[in-house]
Amino acid sequence: MFERYSRQMLFTPIGHDGQEKIRKKHVLMIGAGALGSSNGEILTRAGIGKLTIVDRDYVEASNLQRQQLYTEEDVAQKLPKAIAAEKRLKAINSDVDIAAVVGDANPELLEELVQDVDLILDATDNFETRMAINDIAQKHEVPWIYGACVGSFGMSFTIIPGKTPCLNCLLKSIPIQGMTCDTVGIIAPTVQMVIAHQSAEALKILVEDYDALRNSFVSFDLWRNQYSSIKMSKVKDEGCLSCGTQRTYPYLDKENLMKTSVLCGRDTVQIRPPKKIEINLNELASHLKTLEYEVKGNPYLVSVETGENRLVIFQDGRALIHGTKDLSQARSIYQRILG
Amino acid sequence: MNKILFFAHLKDTVGEESIRIDVSGKSVAEVKSYLSDKYQFQKFDTVMTAVNEEFSSDDEIIKAGDEIAFIPPVSGG
Repeated sequence: MFERYSRQMLFTPIGHDGQEKIRKKHVLMIGAGALGSSNGEILTRAGIGKLTIVDRDYVEASNLQRQQLYTEEDVAQKLPKAIAAEKRLKAINSDVDIAAVVGDANPELLEELVQDVDLILDATDNFETRMAINDIAQKHEVPWIYGACVGSFGMSFTIIPGKTPCLNCLLKSIPIQGMTCDTVGIIAPTVQMVIAHQSAEALKILVEDYDALRNSFVSFDLWRNQYSSIKMSKVKDEGCLSCGTQRTYPYLDKENLMKTSVLCGRDTVQIRPPKKIEINLNELASHLKTLEYEVKGNPYLVSVETGENRLVIFQDGRALIHGTKDLSQARSIYQRILG
Repeated sequence: MNKILFFAHLKDTVGEESIRIDVSGKSVAEVKSYLSDKYQFQKFDTVMTAVNEEFSSDDEIIKAGDEIAFIPPVSGG
C-alpha cells in the first residue's frame, strides 16, 4: 500500500517509520490561495492522514496564474476555494481525509478546528489572521509555519511553542504596510520558493525530526537576487503576551480584532481597525492608480473600484465596502488592498 | 564603519543593495529614524532588523563593524 510513497520512503530521514508517522498526522491549513494550493498538494501527495483547509474566498480568474489547484471551470462556477481544493486534492490522493471549511479563520473558528491538530500551516494573506494563528498555536502547543510573499520577495519561519520565539515576539504589533499581492503583484516562483521552505519544515515536523528544523528566519528576493537567513536566538521575549510567562493571548480577544458591521439597507460593510492608524491617502491613491484600479480621491478619502465592489478608505484606516453584506467577503477585500 | 543592507523594495528606494556609513554607538531605532528621513521610507518602523545576521530589537546598540540588514515583513499568500 506504500508503493506510491516509495520514493520519499527511500529518503533516509523519512523511511518506513517516517511514512507511518506522516500517515497519522492531521494538518490544519489556513488559506487556500497560492501558498495553500501548493502546500496542500505537497502534503496530500506525501500521504498525510488528514488535511483541514479553511478559506473564505472563491476562485477568480486572477488566481489561475499561481494557484495551482484551480481551473477555468472553478472560476466559471465561482467555487469556494476550500471546496475546489478539496475536489482536486481528493482526485490526487484518495487516501487522505480532506476536510473543507468555507469560512473566515477568526479566533472562534480556529479554537474549534485546532483540536487534534499536529501542525498548522500558514497560507493566509494578512497579519491579523496570522497573529490569531500564533496565539492559538501557543495556547494549544501546536507548531506552525509562517510563510508569506509579495512580488518576488518571500519569507518563512517555523514556530515551535516553548522552543522558538513566536510571531508576536518578532513583530510586537500588526504591521500596517499596504503591500499585498493585489497591489504590487506576485510571481509564481516566489510562491513556490516559500512553499519549498514551508513544506520541507512541515515534513520534518510530521516525521518528528525536530533536530533537523531550520531555526532561522529565511527571506529572499528572486528578482533582486537576495537570500538571507537570520538567527533568532536572542528574540524570545519572556514578557511576550502570546508566549511569555504572563500570557493573555491578545489576538484571540475580540477587543483587538478588526471591527466589521453591516450598514443597514445600504448593501455596505464598515470595517474599522482595532487601533487608530494613519494612512497616507495621497500615496495610497497614486500607488493604486499605477495599477489597474479605478481610483478617485480627495483629502479625506480614497475610493477604489474592485470588481463589483467599491472600497472607500478613510485616513484613520476605517473603510466602507459597498456592494456586499457579507462580512468575511468585505474583510477579504479590505485586506487585499491594505494588507 | 558599518555596512547596511536593504531587502526587497527598500533596495529599489535606496537604489543599491547596501551602503556604508558609520552608525556605531547608535541604537537600531536611531538608525531606522535616520534612514527613514534620508530615504523617505514609508512605514519603516515595522521593518525587521538583523545585526550580524541575528534578529535584533530596536534598543540594540550598534558597534563598529556591525552589519545591519533591514527586511520588510510581508503578508501576501
